Amino acid sequence: MTPTPEQIAAFADGQLEGEQAAQVEDAVAQSPALQAQVAAHRALRARLSAHFAPVLEEEVSAAHLRLLHPKDDTVVDLASVRAIRKRRWTWVAAPALAASTALVVLLRPAALPEGYAQPQLAGMLDRQLVAEQDAGASQRVLLSFQSRDGRFCRAYSSPGASGIACHDDRGWKIESVGAASHEANEYRQAGSVATIMQQAQDMAIGPALDPKDEQVARKSGWRAPR
Amino acid sequence: MPLSDPFASALLDLLPRLRRFAAGLSRDRSEADDLCQATIERALRNRTRWQDGTRLDSWIYRMMRNMWIDEVRARTRRGQTFIAEELGSDIGSDGGQEAGVMLGDVDRALATLPDEQREAVILVMVEGYSYKEAAEIVGCPVGTLNSRLVRGRDALLARLGEAA
Repeated sequence: MTPTPEQIAAFADGQLEGEQAAQVEDAVAQSPALQAQVAAHRALRARLSAHFAPVLEEEVSAAHLRLLHPKDDTVVDLASVRAIRKRRWTWVAAPALAASTALVVLLRPAALPEGYAQPQLAGMLDRQLVAEQDAGASQRVLLSFQSRDGRFCRAYSSPGASGIACHDDRGWKIESVGAASHEANEYRQAGSVATIMQQAQDMAIGPALDPKDEQVARKSGWRAPR
Repeated sequence: MPLSDPFASALLDLLPRLRRFAAGLSRDRSEADDLCQATIERALRNRTRWQDGTRLDSWIYRMMRNMWIDEVRARTRRGQTFIAEELGSDIGSDGGQEAGVMLGDVDRALATLPDEQREAVILVMVEGYSYKEAAEIVGCPVGTLNSRLVRGRDALLARLGEAA
């Protein structure tokens, strides 16, 4: 059987049942072209859901709350941009160095602009606050900072690779990639988390963002302040 | 934050998802906030019409979706295009390498979709509804939803450069 485009999409979404699901599964198993289509559908889904995920974590707006709390004069503290406080870099270094370096099979990379973070990594860079992540998470943000050219950048560590990505109009541009990625040739080999941290310090215009500054930056979509 | 009113409390729990749905449908965040606010107001006004035991989320999503469609149609009647000029500036260019990269942004790509495709894409791929649930929210047959979804995805894959 030759599945229709509708069937391929429904299969990728796990929406087929019974005999139809089995038939499409067979057809996909025999065709690299169909496998690529299924993978593209799933990558798109991951990208879209990562794109909108940060909205879930935004503060509830005061106007919306007032509708639901008509008698309650709740004031929601809208985070204000604060001056970046001086911070030592060392506070992030210990968990960073302990981060796992195990290898995993990477998801099929989607064809984003070359040199930009793939959906899974981009999603984490968009959402994850250093202060809120699990100590045992295999993929983690090590620290956030502002680079000399004003962009927000984040150093990260994951089973596949560690590195530094800076946010611009097109997404998270990978500025530096550490060990364990076979795609790292084009980038400066950073070698280890410790080196990544050193590079971050070299690129940064000031200290690492503290938890509050990080929240403010996330709220702004990691867009560089003008 | 427990509220004494269970209906308002359930709405509050849904609020993050409602804001995400509004963000997916709207052109920008202020429009999304307005849509969200209007939906909460309408839900509170019409609360007696919600049948206990049915899914509150589908009921409110349907409400938000209908308000959005009304707004889009009203805007069209006023003669405004759905796509803001700034967003549309690159659309329809010859699809050369550079233009493709310029469009490599999820918001811009979504803005180019017809409304019926956009809502199908958002409901299934962002909000995670099954085809059947999404079709019920939109008020169309499942097969129709499926084909709108495929057309929307194909357009997005082409624009975002993820086509296989």
